Amino acid sequence: MKRIKLPKLGKKAQMEIIGLVVIVILIALGMLFMAKFALKEDPQKKIFTRKGLAYSSLSAVLKTTITDTECSTDFAQLVHPQMGKDLLEDCAKYYAYSPDGYSLYRCQSVLDQEKKHSCIFVNETITRLLTDSLGAWNKNYEFKAWLVKVSEEKPLLLVGPIKSGKGCTKKDRDSSGIFPIHTDVGLIETELVLCD
Amino acid sequence: MNPNKKAQIRLNETIAVLFIFFVLILFGIIFYYQYQKIAIKEKQEELLASRAMETTLKTLFMPELVCTKGEAQAEDNCLDVIKLNAADETFQKHLGDYYFELFSFANITVQELYPHPENIYYLYNKEKTTVLENGMILPAWSQKESTYFVVSLKNEINPAGQSQYGYGYLKVEVYS
Repeated sequence: MKRIKLPKLGKKAQMEIIGLVVIVILIALGMLFMAKFALKEDPQKKIFTRKGLAYSSLSAVLKTTITDTECSTDFAQLVHPQMGKDLLEDCAKYYAYSPDGYSLYRCQSVLDQEKKHSCIFVNETITRLLTDSLGAWNKNYEFKAWLVKVSEEKPLLLVGPIKSGKGCTKKDRDSSGIFPIHTDVGLIETELVLCD
Repeated sequence: MNPNKKAQIRLNETIAVLFIFFVLILFGIIFYYQYQKIAIKEKQEELLASRAMETTLKTLFMPELVCTKGEAQAEDNCLDVIKLNAADETFQKHLGDYYFELFSFANITVQELYPHPENIYYLYNKEKTTVLENGMILPAWSQKESTYFVVSLKNEINPAGQSQYGYGYLKVEVYS
């Protein structure tokens, strides 16, 4: 059988093509590695935990009962107002008289032991609770409570924004969801946002 | 040129190319080894965080601790102070035969922030330790993961006779 001899130039070109293929394979491998790093998703568990923490924190804050039994002299018996349904409602009702005017509940402040308007008291107490918990764990948060009235287009900000540091931007944050409280004066909505 | 010399130059060239090729492969192997080392460490941390989260959820939904309203559904994110006071003793009593299987090596506490920040409830504590020949006990864990969760603390024993809710947090530390 006769052996076909390739011309010298063809053999050289073949070798160069093999070299090119090797380079392309190496580049493809490198890009695969880069893609593996770049497309690494945020762990879902972390997001779930943050959302759960925001929800539980807001729920616990609104449920908290105030121990000052003499928050109001208008009642015949001792009262234990709850932060959400009693004090926030009272704040919404008497917001116009804040900070020094009348409010049904006037509880002793956690800061200076003085009796204060419900709006001021709620603001101070929530600030302290969140600072001692979320703030102590270096979490960034933002709390707000506002009143939505049927007669008014713009909601009225009752409490807050209470925030740690610069608060939260619109990116990478988790909300507790809005907690609504129905009152005679309108709908009170509260929200706690957590971010890293 | 002398054909022998030409062959020698070719041979040297081939050796140089092979050397560079193996150096590149060595770099690749080192890079991959380092990446795997970090990836395994990250995976271990992720698993520990996951265990901490699971332990937190188990604790939050334990009938031994959760707030109840008679036969109604249990309250969310709420622990009963009366149950918390009795929990330490119960958990200690059945640590080996029941609670260790649930929590493994962990430390679970509840800190009250309002109204009585001085109240801390110690629920479960089982640290990974090793005993030296001289009888000294040393911690034997390499990693620790802490998780915090805010809870309401319901207290039904009070002068007013109505339920009161405090504010606190559940702290879970797990060891590996």
